[in-house]
Amino acid sequence: VAAPGSFQRLKAAVHYTVGCLCQEVAEDKDVQFSKQTIAAISEITFRQCDNFAKDLEMFARHAKRSTVTTEDVKLLARRSSSLLKYITQKSEEITSSNMEQKEKKKKKSSAAKGGRPSGEQEAAVTESEDSNMA
Amino acid sequence: QRSPLRAKPVPKSSAASQRKIREPEVASSLIKKIFSHYVKMPVARDAFKIVEKCSERYFKQLSSDLEAYTNHAGRKTVEMADLEVLMRRQGLVTDKMPLYVLIERYLPLEYRKLLIPVAVSGNKVIPCK
Repeated sequence: VAAPGSFQRLKAAVHYTVGCLCQEVAEDKDVQFSKQTIAAISEITFRQCDNFAKDLEMFARHAKRSTVTTEDVKLLARRSSSLLKYITQKSEEITSSNMEQKEKKKKKSSAAKGGRPSGEQEAAVTESEDSNMA
Repeated sequence: QRSPLRAKPVPKSSAASQRKIREPEVASSLIKKIFSHYVKMPVARDAFKIVEKCSERYFKQLSSDLEAYTNHAGRKTVEMADLEVLMRRQGLVTDKMPLYVLIERYLPLEYRKLLIPVAVSGNKVIPCK
């Protein structure tokens, strides 16, 4: 369980990102978001992350893994076919770009390729995009 | 006397072939019974028709979900664990409501016996795993 301070920081980070995304939508659709709306969306996002985390954990454990992979994320997105389509497309893009990066790294040097800091890995898992990097 | 008896099987066989075309489904009387047991109020006939349709869709969705979960675990046989994942995802099984409690609450005794191991006399556990 994280310390209460980091909890607040996470919430603030989510709130900031939600604000940025809402601004983009606002410019695109030519509407205004009230501060309360943005706060509500960020709170919803935060709680939804809780559900996502639990479900991803369950899916990974179901497949007898301790690491969440893109397969688990795809399973999470199965409920909505359009979302699943989008996520599958994104994950393919990421895997192909990862392959390119790995090849570049191999060419550059094999010595520089060390273990990543563990904090970065955890962040990657929650972002669900870089989960197959580690 | 023989001719009418022989004539009878012909329409019967045609009826049977018609039945074969229909997809297998849960008996509508059973659906009706279960539904009316839980709603505890009068239900119109049209509403039952809709409930039947819903249960058909439910089974379709259920099978595709179970297929996904089974493939995800690298198996080809649906197991109890897959169903538990499904029910967790549906919000039926939670940390506060384990699967065994649901089995105890909603299944009749003879089915419950098959799913929940019970210790009997002679230091035995049925069903043995």
